[in-house]
Amino acid sequence: MSDTVLLPKRLRAPEVVALLDGICRSAEAGPLTLDFRDVEEFDSSTLALLNYVRGRLANVVTVNIGGALARAEESFVRRPPTEETKGPPSGSLPSRVLTAIADRFIFQAKSLGRFLAMLGDEVYHVGVYLKERKGVYPGETWNQMFFMGYRSFPIVCLLIFLVGVTISITSAEQLRHFGADIYLADLVGLAMLKELVPLMTGVILAGKVGAAITAELASMTVLEEVDALRTMGVVPEKFLMVPRLLAITLVVPLLVAMADVVGIFGGIVVARVTFGTPPAAFIREMMTSVKWTDFGWGLLKAVVFGWAVVVGSGFKGLTVGRSAEEVGRATTESVVLSITLIILIDCIFAFLLY
Amino acid sequence: MDIIRARDLTVGYGRTEVLRDLAFTVPEGRITVVLGVSGSGKSTLLKTLAGLLPPLGGEYDFAGSRVDYRSEASLRFLYGKIGVLYQGGALLNGLSLFENVALPIRMQHPKMPEDMVRDMVYASLAQVELAGSAEKYPAELSGGMTKRGGLARALVLDPDVVFCDEPSSGLDPITSALLDDLLLRLKETFKMTLVVVTHELRSIERVADSVLVVNDGGLRFSGDYADLAAADDKFIRTFFLRKDSHDNA
Repeated sequence: MSDTVLLPKRLRAPEVVALLDGICRSAEAGPLTLDFRDVEEFDSSTLALLNYVRGRLANVVTVNIGGALARAEESFVRRPPTEETKGPPSGSLPSRVLTAIADRFIFQAKSLGRFLAMLGDEVYHVGVYLKERKGVYPGETWNQMFFMGYRSFPIVCLLIFLVGVTISITSAEQLRHFGADIYLADLVGLAMLKELVPLMTGVILAGKVGAAITAELASMTVLEEVDALRTMGVVPEKFLMVPRLLAITLVVPLLVAMADVVGIFGGIVVARVTFGTPPAAFIREMMTSVKWTDFGWGLLKAVVFGWAVVVGSGFKGLTVGRSAEEVGRATTESVVLSITLIILIDCIFAFLLY
Repeated sequence: MDIIRARDLTVGYGRTEVLRDLAFTVPEGRITVVLGVSGSGKSTLLKTLAGLLPPLGGEYDFAGSRVDYRSEASLRFLYGKIGVLYQGGALLNGLSLFENVALPIRMQHPKMPEDMVRDMVYASLAQVELAGSAEKYPAELSGGMTKRGGLARALVLDPDVVFCDEPSSGLDPITSALLDDLLLRLKETFKMTLVVVTHELRSIERVADSVLVVNDGGLRFSGDYADLAAADDKFIRTFFLRKDSHDNA
């Protein structure tokens, strides 16, 4: 014979909380019947209590129910689990961790494959465009050149000047110990032309141009503009990317040439102030160790970095998901990807050049 | 004659099947409405029919040709014969309305004289009553104007079929009714085939000649709109009469 608990007319959250412990203790002692038939005022906690006793205490608790509460339970509680409310994934923790790692690895490998495929496609599209001159919006390359070149010029010059000053001050201190003051010119010249200017320009472009490209293309993807281009018979990977690739190819050498001048100027200023070296002597000494090929390699590196930025950020923009949240995530990822690519390529160049 | 034929068509993303084993036809020169509740896979089906999302299985014939999603030529053929009105209009923000509508012409026919491009663009804008707003940018257009602008762009190369993804969504009843009138006019004047995805009952009543009802991962009805009332299906009854939802759930 089971005990019967008659539940009160009002059974909302405070009453449910107050009764729950007692119900659990009674259920541990033996079979129990909960009579909900008098309950008139209830809320979602009442339904949760019903769900709890029918699930966890089903072996020892019998429920009597009727009226509005029964109808509410029918409507809101006894639903088959949907896709989202199914239980946790099966399998032990180590196997789930291994599966997650494997899934991540496969995802990254596929992404790398898609990125390389896109890089190949872009080289092809640029080649076809240069031959046929169609598939790209007229004037778009000029717009992109203006954005990438004119708009980036002040920040590139400012930062490269500061880098030139910093590297010169740091080096001057060391060179002074050896009485090798004049070699500051060689050091600054080589470091700026071959390494620092291309690298810093690439990193600045990754932050400024790359992030803007990803944000723009990702927004276009989310707003179905990329789909719209495709169904117009336009190849988005060509229409959107070729002007940007042509623009970066034309703009980066100009930017780097200007930045070389500004960076070396930073070195000249420090040499003048620290050692009293006249600018003409600085330049004369620099030209004894710096060759035109160093300048050329610097330009080439910067153009390759520029391509890495545009293809990397375009890839992130065009493969974004469908939500606004993903636009922000893709933009951040594109900057990380671009800088990673730049440093990786720089490393490869270091092996080739030295 | 049927311009679209689908056999055992399964659509979805990755390994997720959204709609399975669909078999239906879309008659030429009529308005076919694809209807279903939110999340039932209407837009996914539309993307597959528009060549944007490869099907996970089955066959899809357009104007008598099998659509091969791996073949550039096959997709080019499809894209050359369709226009798509996207849910948000999908006008390119950096271009004026005129340039947006001119874009398909410039891309498909780069050597077409500028005067002809201009005439075609204004003819298309006139159809959607936007000729006076040609120089405006998408940010300066209202929701209804953006959709009509998107429709003008979809129409500018005289496609055989226009796909419309929820043309009435987000619009007030008056603008929505004007857009429905426009779709009817296009069908009647140009004998155009339209495939309209919607769940707006008033739009369905006004424009539908034939109907595809999708729900629960499959096709619940395919046929003339006039026959829909006689369909013995709980979901269709619920959808149109807005009752029996508990029976159907």
